[in-house]
Amino acid sequence: MTSQTAQRVQKLCLYLLLVVGAIAFLAPFAWMVSTSLKPLEETMTMPPRWIPKEILWSNYPEAVAEMRYFWRYTANTLFLCFMTVTGTVLSSAIAAYGFSRIEWVGRDKVFLLVLATMMIPFPVVMVPMYTLFKLIGWTGTFKPLWVPSFLAAAFNVFLLRQFFLTLPKDISEAARIDGCSEWQIFWRVILPLAKPALIVVALFQFMATWNDFIGPLIYLSEQQDMTLALGLQAYESKGGGTNWNYLMAASTLIVLPVVGLFFISQRYFIEGIATTGGKG
Amino acid sequence: MLGAVLSALVGCGSEKADRRIKLDYWEVWSGFERDAMQTLVDEFNASQDRIYVNFLSVSQMERKLLLATAGGNPPDIAGMRSTDIALFAENGALTPLDSYAAQYGIEGENYLPAIWDLLNLHGRLWALPTTPGNSALHWNKRLFREAGLDPERPPRTIAELEAFNDQITRFNAKGEIEVLGHLPQEPGWWQDMWVYWFGGALWNGEDAITADDPRNRDALEWMATYPERFGQDKLTAFRDLSGNFASPQNPFFRGRIAMVLQGTWMYNFIQNFAPEDFEWGVAPFPSVKLEDYGVNIVETNLLVIPKGAQHPTEAFEFIAWMQQPKNLEKLNLLQRKFSPLVEVSTGFYQKHPNPHIRIYRDLAAAPKAISRPPLTTFVEYQADMINAYDAVIRQNATPEEALDAVQKRQERLFERMYNRWQKVKDTRQEEWAKVDAEVAQ
Amino acid sequence: MTGQEKYNLRMGLLFISPWLCGFILTALYPLVSSLGLSFTDYSVLSKPVFVGTDNYRDLATDELFWQSLWNTFYFAAISIPLNLGLALALAIMLNLNLPGKKYFRTIYFLPSLVPMVCLAVLWQWMLNGRLGLINAMLRPITDVLSAVLEVSISPPNWLVDPAYAKLGLVLAGMWGVGNAVVIFMAGLQDVPRALYDAADLDGCNFWQKTRHVTLPIISPVIYFNGIMGLIGSFQVFAVPYVMTDGGEGPARSLLFAATYIFNKTFRSLSMGYACAISLILFLIILALTLVATKLTKRHIHYEGK
Repeated sequence: MTSQTAQRVQKLCLYLLLVVGAIAFLAPFAWMVSTSLKPLEETMTMPPRWIPKEILWSNYPEAVAEMRYFWRYTANTLFLCFMTVTGTVLSSAIAAYGFSRIEWVGRDKVFLLVLATMMIPFPVVMVPMYTLFKLIGWTGTFKPLWVPSFLAAAFNVFLLRQFFLTLPKDISEAARIDGCSEWQIFWRVILPLAKPALIVVALFQFMATWNDFIGPLIYLSEQQDMTLALGLQAYESKGGGTNWNYLMAASTLIVLPVVGLFFISQRYFIEGIATTGGKG
Repeated sequence: MLGAVLSALVGCGSEKADRRIKLDYWEVWSGFERDAMQTLVDEFNASQDRIYVNFLSVSQMERKLLLATAGGNPPDIAGMRSTDIALFAENGALTPLDSYAAQYGIEGENYLPAIWDLLNLHGRLWALPTTPGNSALHWNKRLFREAGLDPERPPRTIAELEAFNDQITRFNAKGEIEVLGHLPQEPGWWQDMWVYWFGGALWNGEDAITADDPRNRDALEWMATYPERFGQDKLTAFRDLSGNFASPQNPFFRGRIAMVLQGTWMYNFIQNFAPEDFEWGVAPFPSVKLEDYGVNIVETNLLVIPKGAQHPTEAFEFIAWMQQPKNLEKLNLLQRKFSPLVEVSTGFYQKHPNPHIRIYRDLAAAPKAISRPPLTTFVEYQADMINAYDAVIRQNATPEEALDAVQKRQERLFERMYNRWQKVKDTRQEEWAKVDAEVAQ
Repeated sequence: MTGQEKYNLRMGLLFISPWLCGFILTALYPLVSSLGLSFTDYSVLSKPVFVGTDNYRDLATDELFWQSLWNTFYFAAISIPLNLGLALALAIMLNLNLPGKKYFRTIYFLPSLVPMVCLAVLWQWMLNGRLGLINAMLRPITDVLSAVLEVSISPPNWLVDPAYAKLGLVLAGMWGVGNAVVIFMAGLQDVPRALYDAADLDGCNFWQKTRHVTLPIISPVIYFNGIMGLIGSFQVFAVPYVMTDGGEGPARSLLFAATYIFNKTFRSLSMGYACAISLILFLIILALTLVATKLTKRHIHYEGK
């Protein structure tokens, strides 16, 4: 066997491996959609059937009706997404600018603190945060879920700072000579250049809010105030048995927008995640 | 969709013109139980023109109510389960109802004693009942007949239960369990309370935890006999084939298990999920000693006014209205439960769809009716007991080891809670007395 | 300090002020207040009562606390290496510039977009002992094994069996490995081509190249992901919470540190106690991160340093 054929065989094996892996990674999605289109009895047949005997599209409207406040939850979730995305993008960009485009004494030491706060898991600060919001009467409202996003979260500051550092110093200098104030440089020069990075931050924040579970679980109390993620859970625990077909239909409806968002902004996603990998 | 939008718009319009005081009422129910209460709420709203009760079905109620009360924006009325009263009352989350009750002439002697006990703690009234429930043995008469047993004669002692169990249990050709007489984990409710049918108890009613009581050990030892008798693998296989409780796959409805410990609501599930010709009986769950025959666990759904509610007076007006015998009976007819009151109108049992309702009610009215300990630590106690059973059944611990662990942990928790209560009880009682006095004026 | 320096300091602080406020409110204040509350008995509903070090003393003998820590570490010890290994393997394979690389990358990445709650309900269904897809796949294998070995082997009842519940969770977590794959792929791009060429000249095979070139160079990325995984495992909450419907799993096998804090706070209303747990947890993470940094410093290759 020549080394070329050996290489070819190697490549083929590799492909095979990747294809099998890909099927394994896609299978749960297929299973979710397949279950969502079955009548309840058919979800309980063994061995499982991938393509339902009769495709029940009506599971979707029924699942939505079962959740009762589906549209309300969607509106709540979108509202929170809008507020947190706005807040995060604005505040993180401002803070990141201060950590990258201005030279000040002790800046890099303070930045270590930013990195350190990324190490605090949420459960550790959960109780005091809850008590704080309770004290100012915000529990039961959406505020604890979006107001903090206006206070630049460490992770996003880190991300944007990395990006801002890649922009040449000269552009700031030129603007300074033109008599621009620091704020003008930030707003008119740097921000427009940072659009791709801002989009990344916006996407991440959107995902984080769309997916958030523990926040709404702790702070929201009225049934119609919940978010989609929380609604899905509450819906599962209702009554005795689980209607897997409805649950999977509702899950599909919640996953779909995120997947759609990914496909229209794939480039930003991949690049954004790549820069989070602890480089620099 | 369009309809929903329209009705929402119309709803907004009418609310603006509405001068009535709007009360928020959160309830745990969903499905037909919710609809039943909605009927009553609508009647109340129509019966007068000062108060409008806004009825909401809330999932994971206990936590939501806690969060809302802690945050200072609780609903005016909340539907809770009797097991949560201690935790909420002792932490000052509820409004004492004594003066309100006195104003409306609501008195303890009108209620079944076991139920009235559930409403009171530390000398005060915290709640009023809506729909009670209790535990009983449910058996499948056809399976009794097939095993050559008298279908009208349920077991009365644990020994009898086991004899029946052996007689009913059958295996198929492959050696798998086809029909089982009884299995404590099927469906496994009240696992924390099994000890009471063995004469045991979880606490002494005053100041001590009694998890390691020898009679409690008997209960666990009895549980541990099941895997030994039938084989762990066979039991697992049997349970794997059991569907969800609320489904036609429920082994009791399918005739795969003959005797289960279940409650007042079982009728509703049988109506929904059991075959047409399903024949069943209800009786007290067997006890170890015949003189204990009749022990049953009573609990109830109830209404409370959380502390910080905006309209407590109006809230109580609604609660008091619900306490009128005809309203309680109507609600319990719709939910297929029994009335928590001593007096029952003639015709209630005739109108009741559940043919066995009388048995449940008489059990709850009898002196052997018991309830879960009103301890603030009970949530954890319950979890520990269930875990102990689990460990014993899985043969990971002996009954003695498992219960000793529970005893140690619960003693410590209890002691803490007890000490704290001793420290704060005077302040609490003063606060409550003040609220009560304000209401009385 | 020159005037320019002073001006810069002022401007710098002004710009970072949103973060500074955030730092004070969401990190500093909670930690300090946690410390304070951890010496009290506090139920949210009434005022905290000072109890000295009672909470800490109780913690020392609280088996559930230790079990929750054990579960958390056990989960971390299995899931972190498996996730890192899988992510790295996938990234190396995808980085070989095979045609269709982009599609594969997308496929492997997609699951990491699935919201935690959806992931939890989907895998609860996948791992269902009787009707789940995983066991439907395993059953033919175990059937053959049973026939060959003449003993009865059946696929595990994942979320119901304490021995398998955490593994089920690990499996569900591995489905969402895509994020790490993308990060590793980016890291691999940075390995200088010249090093591979040199290795080729030395006659190194694929494994040797991976072992001696790729791994050392991307070790900082591995380290970063490892630390993130560690912190992540202390946050594990939503998935087991949803899968067990707010419970603790069979024989408390899914009682994690975060779950225990949540239960103590919102079920037993013991917020002071919960704060004590939080602080201990924080110290553990701090210590682990420091140890990990110390240990790995020697083995990590930092470019240009």
